[in-house]
Amino acid sequence: MTHDEIKSYIEKTFGDKLTLLDTGRCEPVFEVKLADWHDVARALRDDQTLQFDYLCNLGGTDTGERLEAHCQLASIKKSHRVDLKVVLDSGNPSLASVRDIWPAANWYEREMWELYGINIEGHDNLTRFLLPDDWDQGHPMRKNWDAPDFVRFPEFNA
Amino acid sequence: MSPLRTEEFTINMGPHHPSTHGVCRLILTMDGEKVLKVEPVIGYLHRSIEKICENRTYVQCVPLFDRFEYVTSMSCNMVFSLAVEKLAQIEVPERAEYLRVIMLELNRIASHLLFYGVTAMDIGALTPFLYGLRERELIVDLFEMTCGQRLTYNYIRPGGVSRDIPPEFIPKCREAVKIITEKMSDYEGLLNENPIWKVRNVGIGYLSAEDAIAWGVSGPVARASGVSYDIRKNDPYSIYDRFDFEIPVHHNGDCYDRYLQRLAEIKQSLRIVTQALDGLPEGEIQPKKKINAITFKPPAGEVYARVENSRGELGTYVVSDGTNKPLRVKMRGGSYNQLQALPIMIKDCLIADLVAIFASLDVIMPEVDR
Repeated sequence: MTHDEIKSYIEKTFGDKLTLLDTGRCEPVFEVKLADWHDVARALRDDQTLQFDYLCNLGGTDTGERLEAHCQLASIKKSHRVDLKVVLDSGNPSLASVRDIWPAANWYEREMWELYGINIEGHDNLTRFLLPDDWDQGHPMRKNWDAPDFVRFPEFNA
Repeated sequence: MSPLRTEEFTINMGPHHPSTHGVCRLILTMDGEKVLKVEPVIGYLHRSIEKICENRTYVQCVPLFDRFEYVTSMSCNMVFSLAVEKLAQIEVPERAEYLRVIMLELNRIASHLLFYGVTAMDIGALTPFLYGLRERELIVDLFEMTCGQRLTYNYIRPGGVSRDIPPEFIPKCREAVKIITEKMSDYEGLLNENPIWKVRNVGIGYLSAEDAIAWGVSGPVARASGVSYDIRKNDPYSIYDRFDFEIPVHHNGDCYDRYLQRLAEIKQSLRIVTQALDGLPEGEIQPKKKINAITFKPPAGEVYARVENSRGELGTYVVSDGTNKPLRVKMRGGSYNQLQALPIMIKDCLIADLVAIFASLDVIMPEVDR
């Protein structure tokens, strides 16, 4: 399916559960409503026209103002791709686990939990992952993270 | 006499185990020699490259990508450059595109030759290591001639490549292609029908096509399980649609097929390199409007770019807020998913088989830990 076909098909099928954020330069990006994330993810995999059976990537983003989760999906059978984005609640960032849909999400979700402090609902193994076992310095990928001296980055000003 | 007491026990393999290709720790639950459960523990090489990228300008991120997956750093340069070019809508000159393809494919061959050597060494055959590294050297010399580096090349930059090839590159490259093509039969002759190699690899570490897709496994490992998916064909980037090559697929999904798969891919890459050398046009290697390393600001937006490297899908997600530094850079490497899927491949395997399976995945730990 071409980008335009995917755009119109997804908009038609999912209606108010997501909105198109299109810059025209890259692949179509949809913003999925937080409450519908798990349902939309499952439907995207099971829909016979789309068949997004392969999870390329899943991760968090801190824009400085809000926390987001981003997700890239591909279909091996149909050779097409889509980008998704979920805006999280800044006060209590939390996202439903999609491990039951794509087992590959397992480590990506652990990483989001550890580096961004995003709680993953329904994930049973949220334990130290990339950081040292005795890490107690917060979530380093957050923009407002106060780096301890031993990992402070030299400032680069241009 | 009381019956022999048997129980499961847990042992630790790594992080400093020679066959873990870096520093990966595997917690094994054993029943005698049999592995019942394996739990990979990662993070020993976590350098927080993604965070460092947020504090650097776009061009300064390229060398950081080199260190993401150092065995095929050309692909890493490529994926970030692709992302920036998509964001800023930069047109890449024709000659630069051809040079990129030549370098990417040479790097893929070098990586698969390294795989050929170290995998055989993990299983106990030392000679293939000497063979594989001998021909890899030819390619590494070509890279050194072009960009001055034998590893971490920083060659493919947003907009083009960093410098043109020297005049002696093309004859040397053709010679290397010829030598490697001839040596392929040596590689195959050494291992393909070797009874010890077959006993150690055939039927070991089975991964089904469905599991491969569900666990996000890509590249040669997925194709050895019968998943006919290659980003160069299925989601073409650069100028791969101009070349005539095939995507080899094997169907048994075991260690032996993963080995055959990589050898078959070397042959296809050699074909692409030859075609690209033949078609290499004259011209510029950087876009007309040069990219300033400090002041370059792509317009705000987000993009996910991906390329096919020797370990599967290599992707990066870049968010720009319109300043000269990226707001977010997420790296996605093939090894991450391959290692994640390791626990489902160990059915009925012995501890020695685990080493063979791990080697067949061709995992690079810096790519996993970032």
